[in-house]
Amino acid sequence: MSDQNMSRKKGRYTLIASLVTSILLAILFAALSFAVNSSRVFPLYTQVDIIAGMVFVFVLSMIVSASIWPAVIEKRMR
Amino acid sequence: MNTKIKVHGMTCMHCHKRVTDAILAIGGVSSVDVSLEDESAIVEFDPGKTSLEEIRQAVTDAGYEAGAEECRLPEAAAQEQACRVIPDEVMDEASSRKKPEPGTVEDAIFRISGMKCSSCAQNIEGILGKHEGVISATVNLPLERATVRYEPAKVSPEELAEDIESLGYHVVKDRVTLDVGGMTCASCAQNVEKVLKRLEGISSVNVNVSMGKARIEYNSSVVSVDDMRKAIEAIGYSASMPVDRQLAEDRERKEREDEIRRQRNNLIISVAIAIPVMLGSLKPVFPDLFGFVPDILANRNVLFLLTTIVMVFPGRQFFEGTYRGLKHGVTDMNLLIATGTGAAYVISVASSYLELGPGYHHLYYDTAVMLIAFIVLGRYMEARARGRTSESIKKLIGLQAKTARIIVDGQEKEVPVESVEVDDIVFVRPGEKIPVDGVVVDGASAVDESMITGESIPVDKSKGDVVIGSTLNRSGALKLMATNVGADTALARIIELVENAQNSKAPIQRVADVVAGHFILIVHILALAAFFFWYFIGFERYDVTLNSGIASPFLFALLISITVLVISCPCAVGLATPAAIMVGTGKGAENGILIKGGEALERTLKIDTIVFDKTGTLTKGNPELTDVVTVAGLSSDELLVMAASAEVGSEHPLGEAIVRGAEQRKLKLKDVEDFRSIAGKGVEATIEGSRILLGTRKLMADNGIDIASVEKTMESLEAQGRTAMIAAMDGRLAGLVAVADTLKENSKEAVEKIRGMGIEVVMITGDNRRTADAIAGSIGITRVLAEVLPEDKASEIRKLQDEGRIVAMVGDGINDAPALTQADIGIAMGAGTDVAMESAQIVLIRNDLRDVIASIRLSRLTMNKIKQNLFWAFGYNTIGIPLAAGLLYPVVKTILISPELAAAFMAMSSVSVTTNSMLMKRKKIK
Repeated sequence: MSDQNMSRKKGRYTLIASLVTSILLAILFAALSFAVNSSRVFPLYTQVDIIAGMVFVFVLSMIVSASIWPAVIEKRMR
Repeated sequence: MNTKIKVHGMTCMHCHKRVTDAILAIGGVSSVDVSLEDESAIVEFDPGKTSLEEIRQAVTDAGYEAGAEECRLPEAAAQEQACRVIPDEVMDEASSRKKPEPGTVEDAIFRISGMKCSSCAQNIEGILGKHEGVISATVNLPLERATVRYEPAKVSPEELAEDIESLGYHVVKDRVTLDVGGMTCASCAQNVEKVLKRLEGISSVNVNVSMGKARIEYNSSVVSVDDMRKAIEAIGYSASMPVDRQLAEDRERKEREDEIRRQRNNLIISVAIAIPVMLGSLKPVFPDLFGFVPDILANRNVLFLLTTIVMVFPGRQFFEGTYRGLKHGVTDMNLLIATGTGAAYVISVASSYLELGPGYHHLYYDTAVMLIAFIVLGRYMEARARGRTSESIKKLIGLQAKTARIIVDGQEKEVPVESVEVDDIVFVRPGEKIPVDGVVVDGASAVDESMITGESIPVDKSKGDVVIGSTLNRSGALKLMATNVGADTALARIIELVENAQNSKAPIQRVADVVAGHFILIVHILALAAFFFWYFIGFERYDVTLNSGIASPFLFALLISITVLVISCPCAVGLATPAAIMVGTGKGAENGILIKGGEALERTLKIDTIVFDKTGTLTKGNPELTDVVTVAGLSSDELLVMAASAEVGSEHPLGEAIVRGAEQRKLKLKDVEDFRSIAGKGVEATIEGSRILLGTRKLMADNGIDIASVEKTMESLEAQGRTAMIAAMDGRLAGLVAVADTLKENSKEAVEKIRGMGIEVVMITGDNRRTADAIAGSIGITRVLAEVLPEDKASEIRKLQDEGRIVAMVGDGINDAPALTQADIGIAMGAGTDVAMESAQIVLIRNDLRDVIASIRLSRLTMNKIKQNLFWAFGYNTIGIPLAAGLLYPVVKTILISPELAAAFMAMSSVSVTTNSMLMKRKKIK
C-alpha cells in the first residue's frame, strides 16, 4: 500500500515538476523572443513564430523533463 | 522464482528499457533480463511479494503485450488455505508405492559417464556386486551402461547410483519437464513433488507453481514418464508433456509473418500516397519541371486528405506507441518519429487553413508522408531481416524427426518420436531420418551427418557404431538401440545450447545498452538545443532567409529540430550486438561448432595461447605397441607376454596398448598375482612366482635396478616420440617395451595455421620430456608441458595465465575438464560427453582439429561484425545528428539533410546493421 502511495505521489510530483519546467522554458522562450523583437526596429519574430515556438518548446521540454524528473524525485523522496 | 514471459511490441532498446524499468518497479522483483530479439523477459521474483499477473500487468501498462503463455499463480491466502492436503496413504497409493516383497527382483540400467577403460567397468561392477541386495551387475563400457539386477527390498536404485558416483564416475540421469495443471499454491507444488519423489527411480523433482511445470531427473529404466503422469493425476492434478517446440516455433513464425504483412501493407499505402503528395508538393516549387502533374494534386485540400490517410493508417503505429509510452512516463523511438511527423503535419495543416503570415505559405505534407514511408520501409525490412537472423535455430528444430519405427514383439510400430524410450529398438529404412541417438545393433549404412557435424561426406555405420538422432540414413536399413531420447539427444542439447548462446550478451554490449537506454532523452535535449540555437542565433547570423528561402525563424528551427529527431536511430545501436551473435552462433551450429554465448566469442578473440592436450586431441588417442627390445636372454614374445600379463589389470592407455599388442600377436597371457599400480611410475605384479616391474626409469631406480645397458636404446626410442617402458624380472633388467600414439592427419596443418594466426601453441602431456618434445617437434610445437599428471593440468594452465596470457585449452573434455574450466576458453572436441558440454565454452562436435581454427575464425568474424555494427550504429548517429543539427550550415549555406533524407537514413541504419550481420552467413570459416 505504501509502495502504491509512494508511486502515486511520485507520479504527481513528476507531472507538476515537468509542467512547471516546461512552462518556465516556454515562457523563457517567449520572453527572449519579445526581448529580441523589442531590441530591433523591425521585429524578427512574428506572433505565429512565438506562439508556435512556445508550443514546440513546451512539447519537447515536457518529453525531456518527464524523463529526468522521476529519478530526481525518487532520490529526494528516499 | 524464475519466469520467462513473452513481451510483444518491443521495437528498440528504449522499449527494452521501458519493459525492464516497468518490471523492476514491482516490489518483490529481484532481477529482470529483457531480450529484444527473443521478445521475452526472464524475471526473478519472490512469489510471496508479487505475482506473475502483476508482472504481466506491468508489461501491459508499459504499453506492450504480455505473451499468451499463461502461468498459474498462487491465489489469495484464502484459496491457499483451501488447498488440499493430501494424506501420505493417498500419496503412497498414487505412486503405487508398496513395501517391496522380499525376494522380488528388478533390473535397473544406469548410464555412466567418465569410464575410460575396462578397469573402470570392473571397479563399478565390483562396488555394485558388494552391495547387499545386488544379484548381478554388468557394465558395458562402449555403451557406458551398468545393468544391475537387484532386490528392491534390500537396496534402492538411488543407493546404487550413489555407489557408482562414490567411485568418481557420473550417473547420467534422464530429464523431463512436465506441464502440471491444477496447481494453485505452494502446497500444490509440494504435493506434486512428494508424489513424484515417492516413485522409484526419481532422483530429483523441482516444481514451479507459477510456470505450472515440474522438472524431473529420473532413471528411465526404473520409471517412465507415463508412471509420473499417472501418479500426478492420481492426486488430482493434470500432467502432460510440454507443447511441442515445433508448435511454439510455428506460433512465433506466424507472429513474425503477421508483423511483416502489417508493415508491408503500411508500406504499400504510404508509398502509393507519397508519390502523388511529392509530385503535388513539388509542382508549385518547380512549375516548369513538374508541369505534367495535374493541378488537383497541388491542391492543399487534396494534399491534406492524402497526408491524413497516411498519418491515420501507416502512421498510427507511431502515435499509438508514443501514447502508450507517455501514459507511463517513458519514451521510445516512436516518440522521435511522432514528434517529427506530427510537427510537420500540424504546421502544414495550420498553414493550409490559417493565415499565419509571411513565411508560412510553404506546406510540409510531403515531409510528413515521406518520413512515414521511409520509416515504415525500415520497419518492414527490419522485420524480414530479424526473422532471418534466427534461421539457424529454426533449421535445427526442423531437423528433428517426427515419428520413429520401433520394434515391439518383433513387429514394426510407428510411434511419435517423443514416445521412444531408452533401449527401444528402432528400425530406420534407407532415406529416413534417424529419430533418436542410438547404437547400431544390426545392419550397415552410410549416414549423412552433415546437418549436425558439418561434414559433407557420409559416414559408414555398422554394428556397434553410435548414430546421432536427426541425421539421414542414406543407403542401408539400420536397427539401432535408442540411447538418448527426448531432451537428451545430441540435437536437443545442441538446440538448447545454441538458444542459450543466442540469448546471451557479449560484454561489449554493455556500452551499447547504456547508450541506447538514454538515447531518446539525449536526442530530445539536442533537438531542443538545436531549436533554440537556430531560432535565436543561427537564423539571423547565417542569413537563412537569403540562403534557404525560409522566411520564418520558427519554421527553419523546427525543420532542423525535426531532422535531429528523425535521424537518430537507437535501433541500430540496440541491434548491433545481438544480431551478430545470433548469426554467428547459428553459423557455428551449422558447422558443428557450438559457442556458448557472447562472452565466449569475445574472449576467444583475445586468446594468445592455445594449449592442446596431447592424447586424443593431437593424437588419435589409441597408442599402439611399436618395439619390444630384449636383454637377458628372453625372446621378444616372452618379454611381451610378461609385460602384457602385468598390464592386464592396468587402466592406463599405454598398458592397454601393450595388452592389445600381445593379443594381436596371439600370445597367451599368464595369470597375475598381487597386481599393483604405482601412480606415475608403472606397475608391479607377480607372475608365476616372479616379481615383474614395468615402468619408468624412476621405478627402476627406486628398486635398485641398473638400466645403463638399455639407456641408449631407450633415448633413441623416446627421440622418435615413442614411450619406452622398462621391464624387470626378479630385480634384473629384462628389456624395453615401447608404444606410440599416432598423430592425427591434420594435427600439423592445424598447428601451423594457428601459429600463423599469431597464437602460441603449447602441448600438455603426461609423457616424459624426451617423448613429448619429439612428438611436439614433429608438428612444429616448441613449447611443451611434459610429465604433467591429469590433476595438475589445471594448475599448469593457471601458470600460463599468471604469465599474462589469455589461454585456450583444447581437450576431449573427459579427463581434462578442470583444465578446460580453468582456461579462459575451454574448447572440447567431440561433443559426446556431458562433461564436455558443461566444462567448455566452445564445443566441437567433430573430433577434427581444423574445427579449432574454424571456431577461432568464427569468433573473430562475429566480433568483427559486432564491432562493425557498433561502429556503423554509433558512427551513423555521431555523424548524422550534428549534420542534421545544421553544424555545417555556416559553411555550406544550405540544409544538408532534409527530414525526408533523415528518415531514409534512419530506416537504413538498422537494416544495414542486420544485413551486415547476415553477410556473415556467406563467409567461409573452414
